[in-house]
Amino acid sequence: MIMHILAGFAAWLGGTPLTALVAGHFWIVPALQTIHILAVAGVLVSVLLINLRVLGVIGGTEPVAGVLDRYLRPTGVGVLVLAVTGFLLIAGEPTRAIFRTLFWAKMLLIVIAFTLTWSHRPAFAVVGAGGSATAARKAIAVAALLAWVAVIVAGRWIAYVEAWPGAPE
Amino acid sequence: MSLEDFAFRLSETSLSIALTDSEWAFPAIESAHVIALTLVVGSIAVVDLRLLGLAARDRDASQLIASILPVTWVAFGFALVTGSLLFVANPISYSANSFFLVKLGLLGLAGLNMALFHVFGSKQLKREGALAPRISGAASLSLWIAIVAAGRWIGFTL
Repeated sequence: MIMHILAGFAAWLGGTPLTALVAGHFWIVPALQTIHILAVAGVLVSVLLINLRVLGVIGGTEPVAGVLDRYLRPTGVGVLVLAVTGFLLIAGEPTRAIFRTLFWAKMLLIVIAFTLTWSHRPAFAVVGAGGSATAARKAIAVAALLAWVAVIVAGRWIAYVEAWPGAPE
Repeated sequence: MSLEDFAFRLSETSLSIALTDSEWAFPAIESAHVIALTLVVGSIAVVDLRLLGLAARDRDASQLIASILPVTWVAFGFALVTGSLLFVANPISYSANSFFLVKLGLLGLAGLNMALFHVFGSKQLKREGALAPRISGAASLSLWIAIVAAGRWIGFTL
């Protein structure tokens, strides 16, 4: 059922001018991947600095709320750039990623990692500028960092895992 | 010994053979390399954007650099080790790839730019509107974007 819908989507996407454009020039895919990696860099360093601050590992003198003010927005912008370049990369080869379980695991992990990171915002708005993180908050910070790392690892392995049996080629 | 000889000898080492034979070693090291290099580029970009006056203008630049540089160095260490292992897994192809050689050259230039900044530019951080830190930041940002691009192009031209 799901594969039927996805196969229909892949066939439709593959017939659009977008696929013709992305697949039609040698340099577009590596250029998109370069932008994708640069956006990963922006997101990863932002969430690292946020969550290390929540853990109290770095920048002890600055309030957590200030760190969130500075790095949550780049995280959001970065994820948006990742979504756009990721979609264009899928358009370039519609049968590649979406028929692999690991791709959907990656999408789920992004939602989890993003939600966990964003959950610091209301938590520290309540606690106030000088408040330090509770043990539960620190656990969330560790989980968020692990989830972001898992997103990257999953992304790299998509290229190596098998597609579902019977998936279009 | 030429680069070709070196690459050939390296490819016959037991480490190279083990890396090539393993199904999971290469993607696992690649994953670690991606995490390390994105932290290097991301942390350097934070500093570059501050030097260019495009972000975090309310923060003292020297303090920002001091707080972020440990992340950069640790990540760079990991990127260097994982990158070297990827090279050892396939030394003949990489050493014959022009984008790989360009990437190494750009890394050298980025290092030189960083050294020049610490000798000349960093002294001018307190001066409002000083040019040297801006030039360092712009050069660094451009070089690291080019390094990522060269790295990505290697994968398509091996």
